[in-house]
Amino acid sequence: MKISDFLCTKAVLADLKSTTKDDVIAELVDLLINAGSIEKKRRKDVLEILMAREALGSTAIGQGIAIPHGKYGSMKKLIGCLGISKQGINFDSLDGEPAYIFFLLIAPVDSAGPHLKALARISRLLKDKYIRETLKAAKDDKSILAIVQREDGRLSKL
Amino acid sequence: MVKITKEIIVNNAQGLHARPAALFVQIASRYNSEVTIQKDNEKVNGKSIMGILTLGVQPGVKVILEIDGEDSDKVIAELEDLLTKDSIE
Repeated sequence: MKISDFLCTKAVLADLKSTTKDDVIAELVDLLINAGSIEKKRRKDVLEILMAREALGSTAIGQGIAIPHGKYGSMKKLIGCLGISKQGINFDSLDGEPAYIFFLLIAPVDSAGPHLKALARISRLLKDKYIRETLKAAKDDKSILAIVQREDGRLSKL
Repeated sequence: MVKITKEIIVNNAQGLHARPAALFVQIASRYNSEVTIQKDNEKVNGKSIMGILTLGVQPGVKVILEIDGEDSDKVIAELEDLLTKDSIE
């Protein structure tokens, strides 16, 4: 699975404004709503699902990355958005470090396989420190998308 | 005991997604032993959630754990228990 299979290209943000975990999850969901990937009336339900997942254990996976995710019955396919926080946000990461790179995923209920593949692809992309630093330093949404698309293409050739 | 290498079939119904990967790392990080997990020809650090997620381990898939250190017997017992339980949320 490629990043381009699930990343909503209209939901990529270089400069998240939020400073708390709750706010940044809402800001990311709003990206998907504004992009037309989630209906506005689903906002409350989706937020509840994502927060319930965080309550089980933080989705911050270290190295400044968080992948908030949840399963939602009304989704037809896996969809994701990407946002960068310049100042970093406390996300209760295991390593205690703030999170800067947020990849939010919302999946249909019976999609363990695609979900696992999406997590693997995101991890493969972001395990490269240079990519993480480049994303954090990117000046606008278009640059973020360009970096992700370029690296996604490179991973496909490996 | 020092170095232990063991093949384990992952039995978690959803595979090694974010939650079990985090639990794996929490266990591995409590001990001094070095821990690696391997699927096919790819071997990653067992104390890195991102590393484990890159493997994309589906349920029923074989992984090889390699644990090296004084407390390796305790680590393998806990990790094997985690990977073979079928009910991690």
